[in-house]
Amino acid sequence: MIAFLRWLLSGTMLRSWRGRFIVVFVLAQLVLPLRYYLGHRDPRDERFAWRMFSPMRMAQCKPTFKVNGAPADMYAEFHEAWNELAGRGRITVLEAMGAELCRRHPDADVRVSVACTYLDRDPETIGGYYNVCNVPEL
Amino acid sequence: MGKRKQSPAPPPAVVESPAFWFGFEVAWAKLVAGRTILFALLAIDALLAIRHAPRYGAGGFNVAQLPFLDGLGPTRVSYAIGQLLLADLFVLAACGVATRFAVPCATAIYAWLYFGSQLDSYQHHYLVSLLLLIACFVPWQRPASATAATPVRTWALRLFLVQLGILYLWAAISKMDRAWLDGHALGMQILPQPDRLIDLRALLDGRLSITKLAKLVLMTELTLAFTVWLRPTWPVIAPIGILFHLGIVFTGLEIGLFAWIMIGVYAFVIPDRVWVGLAELPPSRIAIRMFGRLGRALEGRAGVVVGGVGCVLALVLATVSRFDHAVAVGVAMLVVAIALAAIWRRPRAIAWLGIAQVIATLAWLAVDRETTVVVDYYRFWGGSSRRLGNLGDAEAAYRRLIEVAPDDDTGHYQLGRVLLPTDSTGGLEELHAAQRVAPDRARAFVAEARWLVNQHRAAEASAKAAAALAAEPTSPEARQLVDQLAGRKTAPVPVDRDDP
Repeated sequence: MIAFLRWLLSGTMLRSWRGRFIVVFVLAQLVLPLRYYLGHRDPRDERFAWRMFSPMRMAQCKPTFKVNGAPADMYAEFHEAWNELAGRGRITVLEAMGAELCRRHPDADVRVSVACTYLDRDPETIGGYYNVCNVPEL
Repeated sequence: MGKRKQSPAPPPAVVESPAFWFGFEVAWAKLVAGRTILFALLAIDALLAIRHAPRYGAGGFNVAQLPFLDGLGPTRVSYAIGQLLLADLFVLAACGVATRFAVPCATAIYAWLYFGSQLDSYQHHYLVSLLLLIACFVPWQRPASATAATPVRTWALRLFLVQLGILYLWAAISKMDRAWLDGHALGMQILPQPDRLIDLRALLDGRLSITKLAKLVLMTELTLAFTVWLRPTWPVIAPIGILFHLGIVFTGLEIGLFAWIMIGVYAFVIPDRVWVGLAELPPSRIAIRMFGRLGRALEGRAGVVVGGVGCVLALVLATVSRFDHAVAVGVAMLVVAIALAAIWRRPRAIAWLGIAQVIATLAWLAVDRETTVVVDYYRFWGGSSRRLGNLGDAEAAYRRLIEVAPDDDTGHYQLGRVLLPTDSTGGLEELHAAQRVAPDRARAFVAEARWLVNQHRAAEASAKAAAALAAEPTSPEARQLVDQLAGRKTAPVPVDRDDP
């Protein structure tokens, strides 16, 4: 691996724009998926990590959105495709949906939580403790 | 009009270092085959994606793949237009026309549509956006006097294959997990398909073991990761890779054209001699000779005439197509074609541009008439608008749906439901039309009966509910309504959110 990197970063590669393009491209593609494995806060978000058909794909999540204590009618608020993404437990989408609810219901107490079950790990529930209008991260 | 400007001849023997990248050569026949197969598949993929346009920008909400693009994500209109443009540009590229213009433009549009919204969660679209970026640097134009076996030097195609290797490597790493290795994850993803020629699930339950298959998948991906970009391995690796992706086709997983696009990519892995051999078969030689003659005939004024007629014919075909905004895109492409013709001033290139435009719009028409994409587009647009409370949009979508599919009851039924609260005459007309078009479906009868109940016309409502049950005796909604109107208790009927 080190020999490969040394070869990739050799002076001859960096001499032309083509070589520099190749080096940046290959390194980015080798390193970017590492982000998923090293401290990514959302294991259900497998974008850019080439995890096709992974066990995580089988995770099943049930998001809950409450406005002032009452369940929000999410199918009247958001397109069903966003609700499907929320059902995969993707945190960035859940947070953005929560923020959107805050915009649509000013001064409301908006709580977002998601309960997920997995093939290869224990079930977990995330969020629901704070008003996401004040604490936007789950 | 100047003489057709040829692309530069094959580079001289001096190779920029390292030769692994800058000395990489493939036969011209392979480049043509790969270009045609890959870009044709991408054109079809783009047209099929149009059915998903209504979800983009719906309700004014978007989360982009990259945070800074949240506000710049595509909307229904821009997504549909973008995919039509993509299909057109991909057909140009597949035909080898204006590739230096078409491929970078397609790359930019594709990247915007993909990175602009997380609604596109297909990982293969991420792969395609990367491959397109690399494809911008592949010399797709025919070198001067090239024959099928003429080597074309291209570092970009080597990078293209290395990118595939990286994809396989990470895909294999993601499967180094107990839930995958014990077959659990794979078993849950392969569903029974008794109506298919090959039911992979039945095979797995019978002769094969799911655990062994899971391990085999991991081993295959690891093997491909380290070999797909190495020329000496191609005779062995190409059939393995193609069979591997055909296997994914047989899993029946709903992942768009992913497996087919991957199989298309293998055109660049199939050994050069196969493509050269195919190009030298008598039928191919005849076709190549005919194209050569046609090209020579298109030099001079004839080329300009053919190009002009082709571009106008393409616009006419665009107006026949039922895709939303097809005419606008057709006009835009005509303007682009005129601009390219003015820049090129080469009759033969102008002629091929016109011919490629006709092929592109024929592809639109083929997908329009042979698939449900257009009907789905209006149905999904109407459905999402109705659910999100945009009744004006819903009415427009359903009226268009009735225009494109008058014999489908969905447009009439949904338009009737949308109209009833404000225009009962129009709403009832549409419900009656739905009842005529689909006399064996209860829902239009039920909708009318419910409206009659709200109008306190109990006797008419009971008659209509009975008609609903007679039309579709198995309908739980009709049964429930008949029982309710007769004063009998019934179990609640689950609400179908989609009710398409």
